[in-house]
Amino acid sequence: MELKIKDVSFSYSSVPVLHDVSFELGGNELVSILGPNGVGKSTLIHCINKILAPTSGTVLIDGKDVSEIKLKELAKQIGYVPYSANDSFPLSVIDTVMIGRHPHSKWGTLDKDLDIVYDTLRMLGISHLAMRPFNELSAGQHQKVMLARGLVQEPEILLLDEPTSNLDVRHQLDVTKMLKRLSREKNILIVMISHDINIAAKYSDKIILMHKGSVFDMGEPNKVITAENLRTVYGVTAEITKDDDAPHVILKDALPMDEEEDDARIEDIHTFESKNAETQS
Amino acid sequence: MILDNATIRRMYSSENRKRVLWTLAFVALAAVMFFITLGFGVYNISVMDAIGVFFDHLFGNEVDPRADEYVWNTRLPRALGAIIAGAGLSIAGVIMQNDFKNPLAEPYTMGISSGAFLGAVLGIILNISIVPFVPDGSKVIVNAYLFSLLPVAIIAAFSKFRKLTPMSMILTGIAVMFLFSSICQIIMVTAPSESLADAYAWRVGSLDRVRWGSIPMMLGSTLFFSVILYMFAGRLNVMYVGDRSVKTLGESPMTIRLVTMILASLLTAGIVSYTGTIGFIGLVGPHVARIFVGSNNRYLIPASAAFGAAFILLADTIAKVSGINGLPVGVISSMVGGPLFMWILIRQRKNVWA
Repeated sequence: MELKIKDVSFSYSSVPVLHDVSFELGGNELVSILGPNGVGKSTLIHCINKILAPTSGTVLIDGKDVSEIKLKELAKQIGYVPYSANDSFPLSVIDTVMIGRHPHSKWGTLDKDLDIVYDTLRMLGISHLAMRPFNELSAGQHQKVMLARGLVQEPEILLLDEPTSNLDVRHQLDVTKMLKRLSREKNILIVMISHDINIAAKYSDKIILMHKGSVFDMGEPNKVITAENLRTVYGVTAEITKDDDAPHVILKDALPMDEEEDDARIEDIHTFESKNAETQS
Repeated sequence: MILDNATIRRMYSSENRKRVLWTLAFVALAAVMFFITLGFGVYNISVMDAIGVFFDHLFGNEVDPRADEYVWNTRLPRALGAIIAGAGLSIAGVIMQNDFKNPLAEPYTMGISSGAFLGAVLGIILNISIVPFVPDGSKVIVNAYLFSLLPVAIIAAFSKFRKLTPMSMILTGIAVMFLFSSICQIIMVTAPSESLADAYAWRVGSLDRVRWGSIPMMLGSTLFFSVILYMFAGRLNVMYVGDRSVKTLGESPMTIRLVTMILASLLTAGIVSYTGTIGFIGLVGPHVARIFVGSNNRYLIPASAAFGAAFILLADTIAKVSGINGLPVGVISSMVGGPLFMWILIRQRKNVWA
């Protein structure tokens, strides 16, 4: 499945968030979107799966404009695992994951749906949680259940918003490695937002580095993760070494804060978050 | 530990079977209460004799006309009214709590009941009929029905012009509730005392006025809207994931919210226009059912309806023997429901709602 972003811009009322974002992705890859807070990573993802409509520009999957695809159809092609630190459901794990089957469900599909849910729980190593109440799980288990819900949707593109944000290092590595494996095994394009540069660099096939609402650089981790790029985008000095042929970042120092720039950034984050809260709640 | 597919399926279906069994237990409880309540009222007859009268009439046997008048013509429609009101208002509560992700949402907090009351007050005190040429006996019912639809209509209209969050929808409902209540107060301050008593009796919610003549409309409307709402059970489950994610599962959250809210409002209107505002049942029914069957709407909706029916039957039985001439059921349902609710909340260790 081919994903093409063409000149996408997005503003929340008058605050511009994305400017002319363009790129193409395809095949069974794991792609990470990196960039500082408020740069528009989540907004970009939301423009892809129609949670938001771009102010201008188009998003195409296999050449078809997503704005012309019905939500129900799109749900069969694009799966989404939201940033979910505070999500809670009064349901058992199995019922929570079953919700992911909704786009495909018809009368009498319960049996098949249960099989798919079971296989996915097994693959993620959480079958023993099936009957547990979702709200009583740990953060790591929680995240895997959300991932399971995205996977049973059987999408061709899976979008994840910081899937490892609440996990300890072991689970971060485990989940990211699993995403890479899934992209190959299930033959899907997986795009995730990440804050951990090293883990993203270690497992991703491609990195999209965002800066001020645009794609600053994009390509293989070795090409994108450079001291210069990190300096411009994140405002840090860093040393890049190699580990297993992947770039490894050793952070050195933060650049002195330019107050004005920082203010602008904070404002961005606020607008972004309050808008998000509005659409979510 | 790894569970195999067959084990999980077995556990899953036994879990669901348990939910069905609880629902059946609530239905059985409602059935028992239904027969017991036939034996209570002004006319002195034992429960067993009352049940005898019920079955004799049902099978066309000879019945003492006086007993028949009380049991068949007065208590039976009242008991049916209790079942309909308990089940319907509980379902409306489930739907609204789900739509707004708020455990406090119910017909009362959404302003529906206060709308109904305003309609009733206009009829009872000012003798106004909203629809012309309505016969005097139905004036209050028609007024209450139409006015109870107003709050949700206002919320729906607002959401056309401006994107409303679920929270601002609830707040709109509450604002409308206060507005309507204050209009009622103004009307009641100037009212003569005898119609004032009628208005008060209407406000607390009573099954006194339910006669055979009310049953077809109440039952038909409640059945119709309950069945339609049940068809939304799967989509209401999807609503648990939050508005943004609902879209990525192929549904439009606002459409589901508006449609089910309007259906729940129609469901409520068909009941409260006959009974007045029976308080608390929209909270008690769903929350008690949730403890036993969980929050999957496929099971929660029927279980809430069954428990709600049993609860109102019980409350009305107590109401009939309370005081000198009985009390309105709304008083008892709140009086029994309040402490029961608190006890449940304290006892319950895990948070079932969210």
